[in-house]
Amino acid sequence: MAKVKVKSLTKRYGAVTALDGVTLDAESGELISLLGPSGCGKSTTLRCVAGFLSPDSGDISVNDQSIVSTPSNRRDFGVVFQNYALFPHMTVAQNVGYGLLFRKIPKSEHGPRIENALRMVRLTGLADRLPKALSGGQQQRVALARALVIEPRLLLLDEPLANLDARLRDEVRWLIREVQQQSGTTAFYVTHDQAEAMAISDKVAVMKSGKVAQFATPRDIYQRPSERYVADFTGEANFLAARVLDASAGRFRIEVAGQTLDVPGVASLKAGDTAELLLRPESLSLDMDGASPRSLFTGVVSKAAFLGASQHCEISLGTGGVLKLAAPPNTSIAAGEQVGISVALEHAWLMPEVKP
Amino acid sequence: MTPVSEKRGRLARISFGALILLLYVFLLAPLAAIMLASFTGGELMRVPPQGLSLRWFVAFFQRQDLVDALLMSLRVALVTSVVTSIVGMMAALCSQALSRRLAVVFQISMTLPLLVPELLTSIGLLFFLYQIGLAKTFIGLQIGHILIAFPYAYVSIVAALRQIDPAMEEASGSLGATALDTFRRILLPLAAPGIVMGAVFAFITSFDLYTISLLLKPVGGNTLPLALFDFLTYEFRPTAAAAATLSILLSALGVALIQKIVGLQRAF
Amino acid sequence: MTDARKWQLLLGIPAVLLLFVFLIMPLAGMVEMSFRTAGSNAPYGDGFTAVHYARVLGDGFYMATLLRSLVTAAIVTLLCLIVSYPLAWHLSTARGGKALFLYACIASPLMTGVLVRNFGWMIVVAIDGPLNASLMGLGFISRPLRVMFTQGLVIMALVHVFIPFMVLPINNALRNINPALSEASLSLGASRLSTFFRVTLPLSFPGIQPGVILVFVLSVAAYVTPALLGGQMVNLMPTLIIRELTGTFAWPFGSTLAIVMSIATLSIVVAFSLLTARLMERVRA
Repeated sequence: MAKVKVKSLTKRYGAVTALDGVTLDAESGELISLLGPSGCGKSTTLRCVAGFLSPDSGDISVNDQSIVSTPSNRRDFGVVFQNYALFPHMTVAQNVGYGLLFRKIPKSEHGPRIENALRMVRLTGLADRLPKALSGGQQQRVALARALVIEPRLLLLDEPLANLDARLRDEVRWLIREVQQQSGTTAFYVTHDQAEAMAISDKVAVMKSGKVAQFATPRDIYQRPSERYVADFTGEANFLAARVLDASAGRFRIEVAGQTLDVPGVASLKAGDTAELLLRPESLSLDMDGASPRSLFTGVVSKAAFLGASQHCEISLGTGGVLKLAAPPNTSIAAGEQVGISVALEHAWLMPEVKP
Repeated sequence: MTPVSEKRGRLARISFGALILLLYVFLLAPLAAIMLASFTGGELMRVPPQGLSLRWFVAFFQRQDLVDALLMSLRVALVTSVVTSIVGMMAALCSQALSRRLAVVFQISMTLPLLVPELLTSIGLLFFLYQIGLAKTFIGLQIGHILIAFPYAYVSIVAALRQIDPAMEEASGSLGATALDTFRRILLPLAAPGIVMGAVFAFITSFDLYTISLLLKPVGGNTLPLALFDFLTYEFRPTAAAAATLSILLSALGVALIQKIVGLQRAF
Repeated sequence: MTDARKWQLLLGIPAVLLLFVFLIMPLAGMVEMSFRTAGSNAPYGDGFTAVHYARVLGDGFYMATLLRSLVTAAIVTLLCLIVSYPLAWHLSTARGGKALFLYACIASPLMTGVLVRNFGWMIVVAIDGPLNASLMGLGFISRPLRVMFTQGLVIMALVHVFIPFMVLPINNALRNINPALSEASLSLGASRLSTFFRVTLPLSFPGIQPGVILVFVLSVAAYVTPALLGGQMVNLMPTLIIRELTGTFAWPFGSTLAIVMSIATLSIVVAFSLLTARLMERVRA
């Protein structure tokens, strides 16, 4: 059981700042995702935690003990690499048992432990194969078993699904979550796939050029993002420019597209601030009979595409701006139609405007 | 294509094929000539041989001076290949820890003995060994061979290490292995083909060196190429062909070994 | 990118020492030696002088020998390139088992010593050897040719020795050319010949340049081949240098000859690199 804290981690390469004060913490048994586009610092953070890189400043602690100067081979962390990094000259069993060689574990226990780990990742009967005789998904399971067999204090996964095809990705993703929860291992998980991060994480850290933009639960990241960047990265989003008229305890009276609305939002906003209103497509619905009394906005359908389970629509508002939304599959929508849009205001979210 | 140009195309292909064949004959003729001549049953070193026999191989092994030279060459080559492999491995590990720009400089420095003509290296070493009192000694000759063969071992090992995914080392370290464990259990086995290839290259290079041996040879000692040169200047007999055939077979063994462990295409 | 492990740097020490002590220092020592006075009972004296350089540069015999060496090396390099290019091209188009066999044919001579290969030529070109026999058999000549101890034989043997050094880099360069480029050229209406001269040949230059430089440098300083196959009849710099060093023990003068030869070689290499720098720049990926 390990509680992990990362505090103000900084790493520079010459003039480039790769990490700029990254702070995270994981309660025992939690899975924390580091989410962001390539170059945002998520892998660098993971490699610092693993001990492959040493940060210029900042601290990493496990159960309140700093490990920042502990070499990687004494950190007791299991690492799963993007390309698996299985030792090509060793069999599956030898790969999985490798970490046991360096621990005071009687030889007689190695066999059962290896077997157990392989059973955990549902990979039995292949113990004597060489890695190259396995499929990508199987290799990934071996890598996972190898990292878990040493009963690590922390499990680090670096884009573990990046090299798998879409179907396998789903399967292995659930396996990783299941095994992580079963063993109660704290885990850091690096990914650039927001769906993956939201699906399996207890908390997600969305990273942006070396900093943590937001660190919260998947639900908060999606529904209550700290800024436009986070909202954009976590899913389809509409933004409307707004102005705060009045603020009280996380609720705001705002002016947006010629209307005055009452919405929840980021607590730090004050009256007079310019802000952005986030409207997720699923909190919008079409009023087909033109504008109804419920409709908050009116506009013209500028694009409509049938996707099977839904229809993707873009509506140009009379007051300027475009709203994307998903309409039910069986209503008939055509470009050029005049429509009204209803908004579930409880699911709207007001964020400060961040200049890029 | 019209029939005329098709005909011309075929003619071009055939003449190109003939040219290539001729070039390969040119390339292999001297080696073939030696091997044929060494198996002659007659008295003269001639191709085609007069009858087949192994008598000149027997004659070679009855010449104490030539056998001594062969043994000395083998011994020097063996020491060279062991020393260059170890020093080369160490240097290759060092190059991995260097920044990219420094690594380029290091790489060029390490291959310097390959870039400086053997003649110049030999002359410099002759003076230097004389000044430190090692001229005309066995150890002086050995140093010269190690120096010239070193790049062959180094380059092979560096290439082998470069093939290894850096994540291998990280994976091993994260599982609790010390640097020494990782070297022994991961790097060494994975780089083994490259190391063996480098050792073979270094061995054969040393075995074949002439100029540096001429300048640095110890008093009373001769390597096989030196003995062979002298033999050829004074007695032009098939014994020399037998000696040369032995050295060709040794090289062929080396080529076969390299093919078996890494494949020729990757080696050259 | 893993942070460098500083202790790994220490592993480079033996190699650096080996090269510094036994290569750099001796080469510097050779330069120093060339300024030593000649010794009476020792290979060199205690004083310093530039008289050897004056002697080498002022004496027509040495300058003529230097020129002969450079010209010979240039001829060897050119012939080697002409012979090696088709071999490299053929090798680069081969795949699988055939490629393997061809690699073995190219590599085997490389792996046998220069002396052994030169010795092979002695058998081939002997008066009663297979070359004369086949030439007479085909009716090209009526009396056997005397080839031994001629400049021609030395050149041929040197070309033979250096073929692998030329073939392998050119082969690598040719293999690195995107095959779509020559297909593009053909599709645009160029003949196979103009495709070769306008596309393939220039793009293979990254293999030609190092091959040419390597073969030229090695040819100038080649000792064994002229010594064995040229005998007393073919006088080139390396034979002259070795004679000074081991025959008359004139170390300072021998060093001077070696250094003058090296500087001349290096100048030519630098000039060649500069002349071809633009082409190289353009075709490098």
